[in-house]
Amino acid sequence: MSGPETIASVEEFLAHAYTLEQESVDRYEELADVMEVHNNHDIAALFRKFAGFGRKHASEVMRLARGRHLPRLQPWEFKWLDAEGPETSNVFDVHYLMTPMHALQVALDNEQSGCDYYALIARTSVNAEVRTLAQEFAAEEAQHVSMLQRWIADTEPAAADWDEDPDPPQMPE
Amino acid sequence: MSEQALSGPRAKDYKSEIKPIWCPGCGHFGVLTALTKALAALQLAPEQVALISGIGCASRIPAYTDLFGFHGVHGRALCVATGLKAARPDLCVLVAGGDGDGFSIGGNHFLHACRRNMDITYIVMDNEVYGMTKGQASPTTAPDWVASKLTPGGTGLRSFQPAALAVAAGATFVARSFSGRSNEVAQIIARAIQHPGFSFVHVLSPCLTYRPEQKEWKHAVTDFGRDDLPTANAALAMQVLLNDGGLSTGLIYEFERPAWRPRAQTGAGLAAVEEEFAV
Repeated sequence: MSGPETIASVEEFLAHAYTLEQESVDRYEELADVMEVHNNHDIAALFRKFAGFGRKHASEVMRLARGRHLPRLQPWEFKWLDAEGPETSNVFDVHYLMTPMHALQVALDNEQSGCDYYALIARTSVNAEVRTLAQEFAAEEAQHVSMLQRWIADTEPAAADWDEDPDPPQMPE
Repeated sequence: MSEQALSGPRAKDYKSEIKPIWCPGCGHFGVLTALTKALAALQLAPEQVALISGIGCASRIPAYTDLFGFHGVHGRALCVATGLKAARPDLCVLVAGGDGDGFSIGGNHFLHACRRNMDITYIVMDNEVYGMTKGQASPTTAPDWVASKLTPGGTGLRSFQPAALAVAAGATFVARSFSGRSNEVAQIIARAIQHPGFSFVHVLSPCLTYRPEQKEWKHAVTDFGRDDLPTANAALAMQVLLNDGGLSTGLIYEFERPAWRPRAQTGAGLAAVEEEFAV
């Protein structure tokens, strides 16, 4: 599979940008749902908030795409750097007792991956218009990274025993 | 995004309003995502698809989709699916479940479903443990896994080799994938659905609650990395599968053999249909 450096048209770039945001939103919503099911409502609210940010960014991408004919790509045809989109949280990186610090770290990792992804396209695309757009998107992602770093700095670190549950819902027998 | 790109169902449209009760971090979320992406990629209408399951964590998946669903009896999902496909060959029939449901309680049905080669897709989410009953060894658990009090010294039994068994039993499409790579799983499921015969998709799907060490699978899984795969040569597929360590992913085996279908027409009567199932 070819990499993001081969994204050669604005339409293809925007199709990637939209899906990057939308899949990130879908995963955050899924994580929020599972946190609600497991009674970690603070983290559920945080994931909903992240989903809301993503939804707003997806709308901005749609606004840029107005009047353009974007390609419909299959999930496996996207030119991501990894198995999933750069801002899609890994399904394995959550825990029912996770703290705000953990959730913020998940979000920070996602935003940093998004920033790196756009920066790579900005450096390597053969299309000047794509490079310019990617540079703008990378700059915006960098702002999100800075914002999350500030939030993390203002957030209480997780206790050493954060995952110890005196009454665990599931106990190996 | 342009109207054309947004036309047709999206993956999310195949999900139900029911929130999964799987543990946070469960690999099955990746399979649910992959399945819905595959259906969206194929643009299958929800009413064209039936998802049948047995019992266990993985078998809860029909409830989380907006398809026809049947959450059936432990290990008997393939039987229900076989009957459904015989009666309604127009439906896309999918079966999903876990390693315990599919290879232990339903082990016999698995072998004969492979042999019968009906046009059904069987997705097994394998985490090498019975999760719903709180962590006992399953047929795919390594013989030296000692974390369960039921088997404090490990089972001492050789693990099942599901993909190799499928090839040996006559499945005509055999693939392995990893739930942490949902786009790859989606591609394999889409291809399995399009395959005209029994397609078996073995998905390594970590259980972080009872097998937390499986989180490392995301670093350990690798492509088969062979130019000669997929193959229609069963002997080659078996040779690869029995020597790969179990963490290689990709489409391994695809062979064209006419899918089995009952000679009796729908509406011919129960006795005529049952006659076709005589073994």
